Amino acid sequence: MSPETSHSHDEHDQGGVPFLPDHFVKEVAVIALVMGILIFLATLMPSPMGLPADPLKTPLGIKPEWYFLSVYQILKYVPKTIGIAWSFLIFPPILIIFPFFYRFYARFKYGRLILHTVVAIGVFLAVFLAALAYLGFE
Amino acid sequence: MSLGVVDFLDERLDVRRISREFAEHKVPDHVNWLYCFGGITFLCFLIQAATGVLLAFYYRPGSDTAYTSVLHIMDDMPYGVVIRSLHAWTANIMIIMVIVHMLRVFFHGAYRPPRELNWVTGVLLFFMTVTFGFSGYLLPMNQLSYWATKVGTEIAGAMPFVGGYLQDFLLAGSKIGDATLTRFYTIHVIILPIVLSMFLAAHFYMIRKQGIADPL
Repeated sequence: MSPETSHSHDEHDQGGVPFLPDHFVKEVAVIALVMGILIFLATLMPSPMGLPADPLKTPLGIKPEWYFLSVYQILKYVPKTIGIAWSFLIFPPILIIFPFFYRFYARFKYGRLILHTVVAIGVFLAVFLAALAYLGFE
Repeated sequence: MSLGVVDFLDERLDVRRISREFAEHKVPDHVNWLYCFGGITFLCFLIQAATGVLLAFYYRPGSDTAYTSVLHIMDDMPYGVVIRSLHAWTANIMIIMVIVHMLRVFFHGAYRPPRELNWVTGVLLFFMTVTFGFSGYLLPMNQLSYWATKVGTEIAGAMPFVGGYLQDFLLAGSKIGDATLTRFYTIHVIILPIVLSMFLAAHFYMIRKQGIADPL
């Protein structure tokens, strides 16, 4: 449960299964499965083209792509500047640098448990907000 | 004959040692199916590169030409519909796979020292993947892409301090037009593929160098 202070650079050469053929066979199986699903989707549910862009005709219910929906929904509830500052200026740097504080928070008995719980709640919240946006809740 | 080629390359480039290292390196016992999402993301990237090149053969950026060139791909090119749909579906699946991979790494605590730098490259790869999606969404220049991009660039424009500059940079003008399309196209097919490939190389190098993290 402690950080790997004395890790070996050769740890991937100790124990475990050899890459060829054991692991490689599984990789080929996963690749085949993913390719199968993608070709299934692309052939049976082809991407629609829709009407050409018209700056004068605003369609009903404009929404950004699904991966921006949670941010889009937050902006309905909090002041725009705060929501955007959080989503694009505050959250991304935190996401990038938090591992550098591991040795600090791992010293506390429940440090990691608290962090993992907060993130799990955040993930559920993001999915929930995206679902609300998808369904068009104001 | 074939042995001659291998000997030739081995003498000069040490290929036997390199291929042996690749084939025989051990995968830790704790690796299970939860570890496949990063690899699936890479597979998606390769599919995007292949289908993207095919689409780029016929796609013509420009407010008059973009829409008709995509229609041309779909109506007249062999398997055009399949290739465009594969590109669009794989883009979405790729973003889902990046997110699932990130969550797996997070909840396994695989970001912890000494692997902080690989987490950093991973998060940057995630942002690049989303930017890939955002820049690609405009390119067909249909109603959906136009209005989604309008909403997206307006949100970018409302960012404190940098918003105005960012919006000017993205739109390359006061509204979505020819310059916006060529800019998004350049970002989508030149800048991002190069930058993402370099970060991907760093990501993979660090995995080989540091090994797969032990479970918590």
